[in-house]
Amino acid sequence: EERRYRSASGAPIALRRRQHSASCRELAVRCPRLQLRSLSAVTSAVWLAAYGLFVLSENSMVLSSAIFITLIGLIIYLHFVKIDQESLLVIGSLGIQVTSSYASGKESTTFIEMSQVKDVVINEAIHMQKVIYYLCILLQDPGDPQGVSEVVPLFQSSKPRLDCLIEVYKSCQEILEQRKTAPQSS
Amino acid sequence: NSPAPLPERAIYGFALFLGSWFGFILYIIWAFVPETWLFSLGLTYWPQKYWAVALPVYLLVAVGIGYILLFGINMMSTAPLNSTDTITDNYAKRQQQKKFQEEAIPALRDISISEVNRMFFLPEK
Repeated sequence: EERRYRSASGAPIALRRRQHSASCRELAVRCPRLQLRSLSAVTSAVWLAAYGLFVLSENSMVLSSAIFITLIGLIIYLHFVKIDQESLLVIGSLGIQVTSSYASGKESTTFIEMSQVKDVVINEAIHMQKVIYYLCILLQDPGDPQGVSEVVPLFQSSKPRLDCLIEVYKSCQEILEQRKTAPQSS
Repeated sequence: NSPAPLPERAIYGFALFLGSWFGFILYIIWAFVPETWLFSLGLTYWPQKYWAVALPVYLLVAVGIGYILLFGINMMSTAPLNSTDTITDNYAKRQQQKKFQEEAIPALRDISISEVNRMFFLPEK
């Protein structure tokens, strides 16, 4: 099912929860699409600046290079920066898979084995003059059973607010608790 | 070590007051009196008058840059979101567990983030 929430900056996001089996859940956060008004605002600003340069310098290469730069910049933004959806797939005995899919269709995935996962927690930290809540995976330190070797923050570009994070946290904890009560196989 | 007025402090304050007035009058003389008049008095080895304007400008620009620099240093020393400094530190790792005594207030200690999260976000049945 899908529910609407807000991100830390106020943009509308949607959380979709799917339960594949008793020990497997998928949680996906969908970010707002690229807005036409912001795209046209940036394009007009770049082209106006290029036209101003052309009037000052009388060089028509400025105009064609501005068009070229706008096109290349849009392609780079869609392929490397603009994230469409971030999803978390928790499989009880296997591990956690984190997927980010970009607006151009590119998907980048990271898989963390369950033996490395110590816990999934909601942490709060200072980020760019704000204190935000964010979900993160704590990785186990192999030498020290109580220690944390690494922190992997999740949902970095959609940055959901606390109500959405609590839903994701509860879903993850239900699956993570199962590995404490049933540690039969290694 | 109280900040109350003392006779020594009054003397220091007055000496500083006279000294700063003297320095200011000297600076004004150096900046405004033409070089020929100073040469005729025999004072030839003074710095160029360029510095009478340059040094205050340097000082004000340094103050302005200092604002931005301090802001930037603060942002740089903030721990990033993926560092373990947001969760624990050396003192919390090495703390000792005190034994639990009946009917006494438990000792102060750092609680791990997993436990805090469970308490806040998972409802108690």
